[in-house]
Amino acid sequence: MTTTSDLLLEIADDELILGWRDSEWTGIAPSLEEDVAFSSIAQNEIGHARALYELAARELGTDADALAFDRDPGEYRSAPLVERRRMDWAHTIARHFLYETADEIRLATLKESDNAEVAGLAAKMDREEQYHRLHARMWEERLRDEPRFRDAVHELWPFALGVLPPEQRATLAQHVGLDEVDAVERGQHSDELRELWEEMTIVRRSVPGATW
Amino acid sequence: MTDQAFLQYVQSGGQVETTDWMPDDYRAKLVKFIEMHGNSELMGVLPEREWILRAPTLQRKLALTAKVQDEVGHSQLIYRVVEDLGKPREQCLADLISGKSKFHNVFHYPTKTWGDVGVIAWLVDAAAIISQKALLKCSYAPYARIMKKICWEESFHILHGRDVVLTMMNGTGEQRELVQEAVTRWWGPLMQFHGNPIAKDEDPMYVWRIKSQGNEEARQQFLDGYVPQIWELGLTVPDPKLRKNDDGVWEYSEPDWDELKHVVTGHGPKTQERLEFRRTFLEQEAWVRSVVLAQAA
Repeated sequence: MTTTSDLLLEIADDELILGWRDSEWTGIAPSLEEDVAFSSIAQNEIGHARALYELAARELGTDADALAFDRDPGEYRSAPLVERRRMDWAHTIARHFLYETADEIRLATLKESDNAEVAGLAAKMDREEQYHRLHARMWEERLRDEPRFRDAVHELWPFALGVLPPEQRATLAQHVGLDEVDAVERGQHSDELRELWEEMTIVRRSVPGATW
Repeated sequence: MTDQAFLQYVQSGGQVETTDWMPDDYRAKLVKFIEMHGNSELMGVLPEREWILRAPTLQRKLALTAKVQDEVGHSQLIYRVVEDLGKPREQCLADLISGKSKFHNVFHYPTKTWGDVGVIAWLVDAAAIISQKALLKCSYAPYARIMKKICWEESFHILHGRDVVLTMMNGTGEQRELVQEAVTRWWGPLMQFHGNPIAKDEDPMYVWRIKSQGNEEARQQFLDGYVPQIWELGLTVPDPKLRKNDDGVWEYSEPDWDELKHVVTGHGPKTQERLEFRRTFLEQEAWVRSVVLAQAA
């Protein structure tokens, strides 16, 4: 496997799993307005995952759905931050805020890629992510004086650092205003990922080889 | 204007705006009818959202999330109309979870397989769009106006549902079986969906021209539009009496009206569980609404 598809899969898996987690809020968010907003964000993330998988799939000789669904949970490269199952709203917004801040740093590098297709896709994703960032910052401003929100940010902070490679973490710490600590690194999957995988592939696995 | 003059006005096709005078009885009927519609959109989210996590391809995942999101958006629009008539959204939600107000029969049942997801989006949404299209001419103009957007979006849901069903029917024997089981499971509730065949002139919702067609008219339209499609796909409808007579009227076995009454009064197989689920999240997230409201004040 080449470095490009490695990197693409890392980001794609983050977006896929986060999109799946965000869609857990569809229908039950704190307000109807927020429900609609969070569902849109979930759809965007999954759309990004699909576009990234398509790029990687060409190189790997497979297709986007096979990459999204047909690998063993151990093969996913997602960061532990996105794997955590639906939490309360304070943790959800803390994750949203931390992830979007990290993602902005990651996309800025990707937009400079020598691979024109990768750079183009990163630019396209970044245009949509801008709205996610506005949304995340609006909520961060609303909740920043709430102790339960501040606790959630601190709890998830080591996980957020693990979204980025070590050389980009100082920038993240600067943007978030927290000190760098030991990161919870990629590659150590929780049981929550396997549980999610069991559920997200349950229909697909029920009739192997079928078209859905 | 007297109540009688108002009645004549709406019966001759006249429409009413929020700030216009209206009889108390008309306002009360509007609130009851529109609130139930809003409740149904919101409760209709629950049977389908269970499958958002299990959608078998990325395309289906996106389509189903978007569909459920549309339903939430519809409930938002509809509750706003109710709010303008004097009943705040918080009150609607409180009455919903306490069981005081009602929601449509089909949303009280469980969804068992991916076949249900296709059949709900195709046939339940088809039944719903027939009722909703009849609201485009509602005597209460603000409700009629939002129905344009709602009908437009619902028509995409039907296409999505039909595509899910079609793909499964072109798949393996096991997949076809899932669709057939779902059609069999949903047929009873679908036949009850448009309500008992009360004469339209005795239906207060028709008398006030809140809806523009009677229950049986809607059911006939559903049968005429969808039974031929169901048969064409090689599916069977679980009603040996079902046939179209020479006069164009569909004949069918009497739907179970006792079941309908039992279900919509809060005794459906999933009613209490789903209301409890809504209640849990409303309570759990109350602090978020307090924070936002305090800042807005």
